[in-house]
Amino acid sequence: MLTIDSLREYGADVDDGMKRCLNNEGFYLDLVKSVIPDTRIAELEAAIADGDLDKAFETAHALKGMYSNLALTPLSAPVTEITELLRSRTQTDYSGLIDTIKKKKAELDSL
Amino acid sequence: MEKTARREKNIRRQVLVVDDELVNRRLLGFIVSRDYEVIYAENGIRALELIRKNERLLSLILLDLLMPEMDGYELLEILKADPALKRIPVIVLTSEKTAEVKSLQLGAADFIPKPYDMPEVILARVRRSIELAEDNIIIHETETDVLTGLYTKQFFYQYCRQHDRYCIDMKMDALVLNINRFHLVNELHGREYGNRVLMLLADNIRTLLNETNGLACRCEADSFFIYTPHRDDYGELLAEYAERFRSAIESSRISFRLGIYENVDMSIDIEQRFDRANLACTNRRSTYTSSYAVYDTQLHERELYNEKLISDMDKALEEKQFRVFYQPKYNIKGDKPVLASAEALIRWIHPELGMVSPGAFIPLFEENGLVQKLDHFVWREAAAQIKRWKDKYGRTVPVSVNVSRIDIYDAQLEEKLREIVRSNGLEPNEYLLEITESAYTDNSEQIIDKVNLLRKDGFRVEMDDFGSGYSSLNMLAALPIDALKLDMQFIRTICSSEKDLKMVELVIGIARFLNVPVIAEGVETEEQYLLLKKIGCDIIQGYYFSKPVSPEEFNKLIEAEQKEELLC
Repeated sequence: MLTIDSLREYGADVDDGMKRCLNNEGFYLDLVKSVIPDTRIAELEAAIADGDLDKAFETAHALKGMYSNLALTPLSAPVTEITELLRSRTQTDYSGLIDTIKKKKAELDSL
Repeated sequence: MEKTARREKNIRRQVLVVDDELVNRRLLGFIVSRDYEVIYAENGIRALELIRKNERLLSLILLDLLMPEMDGYELLEILKADPALKRIPVIVLTSEKTAEVKSLQLGAADFIPKPYDMPEVILARVRRSIELAEDNIIIHETETDVLTGLYTKQFFYQYCRQHDRYCIDMKMDALVLNINRFHLVNELHGREYGNRVLMLLADNIRTLLNETNGLACRCEADSFFIYTPHRDDYGELLAEYAERFRSAIESSRISFRLGIYENVDMSIDIEQRFDRANLACTNRRSTYTSSYAVYDTQLHERELYNEKLISDMDKALEEKQFRVFYQPKYNIKGDKPVLASAEALIRWIHPELGMVSPGAFIPLFEENGLVQKLDHFVWREAAAQIKRWKDKYGRTVPVSVNVSRIDIYDAQLEEKLREIVRSNGLEPNEYLLEITESAYTDNSEQIIDKVNLLRKDGFRVEMDDFGSGYSSLNMLAALPIDALKLDMQFIRTICSSEKDLKMVELVIGIARFLNVPVIAEGVETEEQYLLLKKIGCDIIQGYYFSKPVSPEEFNKLIEAEQKEELLC
């Protein structure tokens, strides 16, 4: 079950996220739950696969803002990294980063 | 927080959160809704709809930059270009440093970084941006005059002070520009026409300001204040204005008066500088042509001096700063001049200003009526002095006192004089009254009645300054007087001007005809004295015999004469 403790264990900077929610635990957990059905990691992967780095950057950028605000550090760290690479449209192998992101998302989903 | 609560006065302001990311929208909305009512948009197009719909209610927009449909930049540009919407402050939400500069250039009030700051920081930034924007609106709405678009007075003064802080060495002029007889312009042509005139004048002033980098306000009705770097061509400027008005407003007979205080003294308040320009403007009395007047420091100092005299008078009376001096009058009919009487003359020994000449304060006090108080003071002093001399020397030295125009209209005049004489144990015929000739010509009937009453009571009346007014021979014949006192002007030139000598001879002839003595005052030289004696003048007063002196000094004159009598 998704709780403050399980999120902390997962590696989220819960204190930071909670402060931003005026220390309202219910609201914070609600927001975190709302990102679980989000399918944009798959969209990001597809865009990179299609070579559409513009779309990939936009998607990564959006995810970065969302995860950072919720202080979901295990996700926001690799997403920030990929965003910066995509900002300069770097041609590189993104699969490692994508795998990390997918793995961390799956971990979150399973909480 | 206290300040915010007070400012908000129970109004819950509305804030629009624009972000395509639901989580961000919800999170930010959650924070801001603690103090504000929040509405949401997920892209620029939706945001613009809401902004237009809530234009009057909306206090602030929190705007994400990267969004589908219409992004934040595009929305910022639309808002900036719309006069109705650009008043709403926008805070940009961004994680990019480079985006901050661009947003500020597009008119953003502030930015909030992503991930979001602590809620308190966000709320503080929101609050401050709203305050600033509201203050700006209030200032903008109150700093300008609705009709002309020029500043209002208080803001004008503030901007002038600001100007001086930055341009310390610049020589500035303070101008007050009024429209002549503007109330009549309004009455004759209607208020709408009057407003057109004011707006046109304001436009002309704006043109001047554009050239000179000056400042201007409409102070009230038709009075404009202008603060501008010094220039010398105000005459031409006025002519130019008049010309422009002639061509812009048909059948216009508009003219202006301009008061200029040049190269203002930076050490005095801005308000005082415009008081001075205003003074110059007010002194400009020409009402049908455009004209200007330059503030004159000396004129102003004289006014201040006069004002001080007026405000100090009551205290001076209380503190006995006024003293009565006496100038002897000598009868020269016989071989030797004989002390006949004296004239009481007031002196003001002012604690700060020293001896103030009666020429400086009598005309002022005549103008505002205070002279009556002074006259009463002199009357009482003179009567008491006659009594003192009578007691001391066993003789009467009659003293003449001045009766001002305003005293003539006093219904209690005779009663007051009678009381003064009686309370000093004197007879009215020991007391002389001087009334200036011009008072007779002002209102001859009333004054003749009054003088008749006074003479019936036994007072003797001398007509002062004779020859300076315009008495008709006709009136002279009917005049109830006991002596004619020649105007000093004739005596001054009697030795050099044949005409004046003839005039004096003529007056002496009239006096003979009326059977009254002639008194010449202002006699300063032996030559004048001998000439006056030759042509038959009866009594002489002037520096040739003695200047006005204190009662103590006058004692010596009496004593000297008594000694001589003993010798004879």
